[in-house]
Amino acid sequence: MATGPDDKPQESGTELAKPTNEAPQNAAADNVKSTSTPSVFVNSEPIREEQVQNAVKFLSHPKVQGSPVIYRRSFLERKGLTKEEIDEAFRRVPDQTPSAQPTNVSPDPQSKSSANVQPQSSSQALQPTAAAPAGVISSVVTTTRPRFRWIHAAYAVGFLAVSGAGTAVLLKNAIIPRFKCWIRKVISDEENDVLKRTNAGPSLEEETAAAAKAAAAAAADVAKVSQEMLNSKVEERKYFGELVKLLDVQLQEMKSMSTAIQKLEGHANASGALSQFNHEDHGGLVTIPKQPFANGRAEFESRSARSSSPPGSSEPSAAPHPKSYMEIMAMVQRGERPPNVKDINDSPPNPHQQIPNPRLAPRAKPWETIQTQNNSSNVYQYQSSAEAWNYNAQDNGIIDQSNGDASAPWWQRKNARITEIDRDEDLKTGQPVQRAWVPPQPPPIAMAEAAEAIRRPKQAAQKEQSSDETASRSSDVTDELQKITKFSESGGAESTSEMSSGMNSTEIQVEQE
Amino acid sequence: MPIFKAPFNGYSVKFSPFYENRLAAATAQNFGILGNGRLHVLALPPTPGAPVAEIAAFDTADGVYDVAWSESHDSLLVAAVADGSVKLYDSALPPASNPLRSLHEHTREVQSVDYNPTRRDSFLSAAWDDTVKLWTVDRPASVRTFKEHAYCVYAAAWNPRHADVFASASGDCTARVWDVREPGSTMILPAHESEILSLDWNKYDDCVIATASVDKSIRVWDVRSHRVPVAVLNGHGYAVRKVKFSPHRGSLLASCSYDMTVCLWDYMVEDSLVGRYDHHTEFAVGVDMSVLVEGLLASTGWDELVYVWQHGTDPRAP
Repeated sequence: MATGPDDKPQESGTELAKPTNEAPQNAAADNVKSTSTPSVFVNSEPIREEQVQNAVKFLSHPKVQGSPVIYRRSFLERKGLTKEEIDEAFRRVPDQTPSAQPTNVSPDPQSKSSANVQPQSSSQALQPTAAAPAGVISSVVTTTRPRFRWIHAAYAVGFLAVSGAGTAVLLKNAIIPRFKCWIRKVISDEENDVLKRTNAGPSLEEETAAAAKAAAAAAADVAKVSQEMLNSKVEERKYFGELVKLLDVQLQEMKSMSTAIQKLEGHANASGALSQFNHEDHGGLVTIPKQPFANGRAEFESRSARSSSPPGSSEPSAAPHPKSYMEIMAMVQRGERPPNVKDINDSPPNPHQQIPNPRLAPRAKPWETIQTQNNSSNVYQYQSSAEAWNYNAQDNGIIDQSNGDASAPWWQRKNARITEIDRDEDLKTGQPVQRAWVPPQPPPIAMAEAAEAIRRPKQAAQKEQSSDETASRSSDVTDELQKITKFSESGGAESTSEMSSGMNSTEIQVEQE
Repeated sequence: MPIFKAPFNGYSVKFSPFYENRLAAATAQNFGILGNGRLHVLALPPTPGAPVAEIAAFDTADGVYDVAWSESHDSLLVAAVADGSVKLYDSALPPASNPLRSLHEHTREVQSVDYNPTRRDSFLSAAWDDTVKLWTVDRPASVRTFKEHAYCVYAAAWNPRHADVFASASGDCTARVWDVREPGSTMILPAHESEILSLDWNKYDDCVIATASVDKSIRVWDVRSHRVPVAVLNGHGYAVRKVKFSPHRGSLLASCSYDMTVCLWDYMVEDSLVGRYDHHTEFAVGVDMSVLVEGLLASTGWDELVYVWQHGTDPRAP
């Protein structure tokens, strides 16, 4: 890999060690700290021997050798190995196989793997005794071509069966006599013990009695502990059962709400209250165990066969999908085309059409310009409160930058006020030269209209917007400031209930316009 | 706040780097499973109460999963289409003259496109065929193909300062850092135990990446010491679909999730969640922060709505 040799000089960490090809590129392309740049985005860790050895063990495992190389690499990458470590492990793996591989190491892993898997799986129970025959089989198998692997697999199975039977017979013959011997020994021991006991005298009796008592006490303790554990488990199960019940109840509610939504879909007023309700339910459902959802989520995201059978459709997946989504998935799985799909020709009418020349010069990005654009910084300066509350055309004129857009940038004034309340002091004073931070804007007046709209009925809200803009704003704005504070700080949960219905009604009106 | 109702399920929104009031929305019919797609170019109204204007709309045979504005041409857009093609549109030309180009090399759905903000001449496409391709606007074929991931690549993002460096996020649970001058990836971040759906670079610290995953968390990594994340942001209830660093504040990032919320985080702060918006009624799948207007956010979801609002305000307010 080309990155290999590049990495080694970078490991030393000095710019001087950088190959010369970096320098001209850096000079040409990058600015500030250019010489150190490429080294930062490269793994400069030395190869970790332990990781490489773990990887080699992993790769030497017969089951692993049956999998495609890309998955093996992917697994190691997910475990945190660097490219160099993975390459090193791959290099080492063929050297460590037990059977001597004379030739054809790279094509063989496939055949060896499949043959090995079969004998290994069948001899699982007889692992210790069958290890030798399996080893022999594997060595026999590995030196052959893939074509013959079925025959050799059959040989392997047959041989194993014979050896298994042989070992079984052997063991039977070995075990039974041993068992009998052991029984006899025990019996004889007991007889001896009885004799010994009468001979040993009271001390031995006392000792045995004490030992028996201690054993009994220990057993009692163990019994107690296990009893406690059982109790706690029972309790846990109870709680879990209750939790499941509660979740079921929530599910039921959700289902009923979703059906209600379906019914009310046509009505304009539905979305507001129900969406908030749904959201709360979703919040409650979050506590469902993660594991199956992670899997379901992954399946959904994979969508490896979008047009055929999409994965993740067997279970509802992690996040609750809309009902129409499930319907469409089912339709597609059946092979039907959804009715609303049209045939559209989206190919370029003139593939060789010239790309038009740009009309505007590109703008510098905020993070590129260390110096703030002076006009905009003045705009965002936190002015006195009295001025700040005023939303007038003059400010628009200042804000409106040179691009010639006539649109009054109402959206520009609305910088976050809430989260920066505690940082006001910093911001009011020195305007940072860097554009990284800009002092917050007071809440704009337009929000006052929103606040009005929330409190008053729909029609009135519309009139409010168009009519007097000089209404007493300050109190409204402070109220609304508090509301916004609540809104953002509490994550919107509290105030959505109040706001959503009013908001959505106005929203719907806006949409209809 | 302006709200746009699209005919199809929303998949992605991007603000224009040239016009403060312009944004593009990528939508797909039938949740993107099977159906047509449409690319909208929208203009925000001058007054708050007015509706969003649609400057242009381009229909596609298959769903549009992502859109990127050109950094060199003010009206050029790149669309990532579910049939594996990447299409170039010019919003200044009528629909009959569009698309300008259709680049069809990916063999599976193209999930993400990103335009180079420093060099301004090239863009990346990430697709479910496990590859990332590098293109320039003037060439009909891809310049480079990066094939290393073991599964679908869900996102690719250019480094904001280094014109040759980009990162990709994949369903094989790794994120990779690449340099276009190198044949293979230069760094592998085994960032999560589940699929990584999105990633973005910190605009003010070019060594910091945020990855968003199916495991509901966002992890912030420093590529200089990438074994342990700088921060783990938990709070979403379901998989996090998209993550975007603020162009104005170095530690601020926005995310949207299948839990229908858009969240704002400050990863350098103990209590990282700084804002949460639950305006969507279906999966929130697209979020963007404006480069030209500080604090302006846009989001879209499967509820077919595009919201644009200022951080700290209510997206649903008129």
